[in-house]
Amino acid sequence: MSAPRADAMTEAWRVPPVSVLLAAVALIACAEVGGASMVQWKPGVTRWARDTMLARPAVHGLVGVRDVDEQILDEALTRLDGGLRLFHLHAEGMGTVIIVTTMVATTLVASDTLRRAIVVLLTVGGAVYPFGYLLWSALIPFAGVTPAKRIAEWVVWIPFGSAAIAATWLLVWALGTRLVTRRRQPT
Amino acid sequence: MSASRKAAVVLAMALALATPAAAHHVGAWAPRDNEISANFKQLKYSLQAGKLDVARRLYEQGAVRKEIAKRTGSLPPRLDDAVRTALTLGDVAEAERGLTLVLAALIRDLALEAGKQVGDAAAPRAKRAAAGQKFLEAIWRYYNLIDFTVTQRDPKAATGIRLAFDDAEGYGKGGAPAPATAAGGPAKTVSAPQADPDKMLEPLRRIARILSGVVETFATPTRRQS
Repeated sequence: MSAPRADAMTEAWRVPPVSVLLAAVALIACAEVGGASMVQWKPGVTRWARDTMLARPAVHGLVGVRDVDEQILDEALTRLDGGLRLFHLHAEGMGTVIIVTTMVATTLVASDTLRRAIVVLLTVGGAVYPFGYLLWSALIPFAGVTPAKRIAEWVVWIPFGSAAIAATWLLVWALGTRLVTRRRQPT
Repeated sequence: MSASRKAAVVLAMALALATPAAAHHVGAWAPRDNEISANFKQLKYSLQAGKLDVARRLYEQGAVRKEIAKRTGSLPPRLDDAVRTALTLGDVAEAERGLTLVLAALIRDLALEAGKQVGDAAAPRAKRAAAGQKFLEAIWRYYNLIDFTVTQRDPKAATGIRLAFDDAEGYGKGGAPAPATAAGGPAKTVSAPQADPDKMLEPLRRIARILSGVVETFATPTRRQS
């Protein structure tokens, strides 16, 4: 699977583990399906969300006056739509980020333990993080904009986002260390 | 590395990660016009541009006229006829008077309903204050559209409404209202721990009372000064 490492000039890029590639490709596929579904079923989703919110006036702070309620509903529906769009955007982007960063880690990080940790954190963090937007959108009609955001933050965004950020910093640190070590070595 | 140093490194990493992880992008939302405010703006701009045929069509088919039909009991009689005649004759001032009157009545009714809901002692204070804030947002959205016309014809009423609005907003946000600035800018509120819905009632009633006066004032047709 990997080319022999002779020196920096002849070093070939190593392919990340198949499970990582599958996760990344599945994430991109989810993004595409999500984007297409958003376009296809937008009126239906909006109608469903509106009815669900109208059935829970206390949750959304609806006061029963058109001029007040329509702004509250409009904000919630806009946020819901925004969450779906951000899921599409992040899932597409993170799929690519996972492939590229794990490829860099697999090729350039020498320590097995560190490499595995970076690859796992990048894959899990990066693949799950976009689903926070989906969760947020799904919860808005039931819990309201801000409480739904808080749930998505604590269940998905903060833990998995932190994992992806931690992995990226570890990768930066490992690459920096590698660079410094190579410079110190006599040519 | 000692245990305490390791702990310090882990803590520093956790702190460094917490901020960016919590700073995810969730998009932005800005309040949009509803069909009444959108129709009102279209009418106003077409009148200002002298496009009376456009204004007449927008009025005939628009939400403002539907609102007049809905509020026949609380508006001066034959208001719809008066606006249509003004648009046909090209009397911009008279058309604006009618349109302002509709929104003034709408805002007055909103202020009355806000008073009812904010004064509902059975509801929790936080919910009453939140409802009051939402009503104030709706009131300001509409009042903003007629402020100039009201100021031209009844400056005292316009100032009174703005002051009452600042007072209500200040109590709703949880602070005592500061005096309005000389430039007429929004008053700053002094931060306090809790909103006071009971104190919002008086300024809301004041808004309704002043707007009743505005409706009466605008019920009288304008005479052109030549």
